[in-house]
Amino acid sequence: MHRISAVIATVGVVLACAASATGQSPQTFEGMWSDPPVTPEDNFCSWWCTDAGVERLRALLADPANDARPFGQLVAEANAHQENQYIRPRLSAAALKTYPLDVATDPGFTRCEPWGFARQVTSRHQLQIRRTGPDRLEMRYGEWDAHRIVYLDGRPRPAGQAPTLMGHSVGRYEGGALVIETSGVAPSWTQFRSAHSDQLRTIERYTRSADGQRLQLSLSMTDPWGLREPVVLKKVWRWAPGAEIAPYKDCQRPNESATRK
Amino acid sequence: MTTVRHSLLLLIPALTVSVDVASAHHSFAAVYDQKRTITVEGVVTEFRLVNPHSLMLIDVTEASGRVVKWTVEFDGRLNLTEGGWTERSIVAGERITVTGNPTHIDSPRLFFRRLTRPNGIEIIRPMDAQENTIDEQRRRAREKKPAAVSSP
Repeated sequence: MHRISAVIATVGVVLACAASATGQSPQTFEGMWSDPPVTPEDNFCSWWCTDAGVERLRALLADPANDARPFGQLVAEANAHQENQYIRPRLSAAALKTYPLDVATDPGFTRCEPWGFARQVTSRHQLQIRRTGPDRLEMRYGEWDAHRIVYLDGRPRPAGQAPTLMGHSVGRYEGGALVIETSGVAPSWTQFRSAHSDQLRTIERYTRSADGQRLQLSLSMTDPWGLREPVVLKKVWRWAPGAEIAPYKDCQRPNESATRK
Repeated sequence: MTTVRHSLLLLIPALTVSVDVASAHHSFAAVYDQKRTITVEGVVTEFRLVNPHSLMLIDVTEASGRVVKWTVEFDGRLNLTEGGWTERSIVAGERITVTGNPTHIDSPRLFFRRLTRPNGIEIIRPMDAQENTIDEQRRRAREKKPAAVSSP
């Protein structure tokens, strides 16, 4: 009996060492995630949110004067609050010139151009995280069926490499968190509809709830061109092993947007 | 029979506000007037559950007898499947009444908000249905709250 216990313990130590050597997380993030449960805060943060916005939403929900107001109205108010009180003051003069992105000229809509990293990383719906090699993860998003590689071996961005749509991402495990640093992103738009430059740097910090059912992202963004100070966005997903990502096809450019009244 | 009618009764504030937020990421506002809804009745000729935007074509018969093909645009497949929709959620040949946001130029095109079948069964846009669920949760929570005790 003692011998069996010793063997089991030895195997456990060997496996733990092997996991550490390959950079595997003690808490895996791999698998399919999607929209969180239908609760007020999760609904608000199923796209992107800020602490300021969540605080505002909580206050609105707690105020009996708002009991008769539909949730959609409260979300709109909390959203306006975070845009005006949190996002706008952090934008540089250069970014404010085009803020917010005009829906009538949004290249993702009018020209079917896939989103860049800064918009994709907090996109709604499915997120699939897969280990595609000993040194890398693949993150695949339902929106635009976009893919990105996260290198786990700490490799630097190749010298002279031109910025790309999804940038260069390097990840590591810190305790129970998956931390990813990204640079080399081509100029595009953020999820909060401001322009960013190729100087954008981000740190994503993913944590999984104790019961394993929720994935939480804290995304810190800096951009000397577009931001006066860092912006921190939050987002949540739920564990959704049955969810699927369907291909994007037949994107049609609207031919009626130019005639908006 | 005229089958196109403006549906002022459906212009409830919750609907209007929720569209502004929920659809902002796809910029539907560039094409559709989020402040108005209209209702049309017709026969489905095609339903495509695809990304980035699902589509339905319906034949709408005007008072003159002329049949006009309307296009109904939905959220993408990724949104609809999260709400439990499948390729068979709407089938060609069925008669439906559909309510949605019209285009800014009033072309025969709608952004989907809800549809009703002849048997009265209603299907609501999943994102709107989620907000309705949350409003129901809030209502129940209010009912569970103990009544305030007034001081003597």
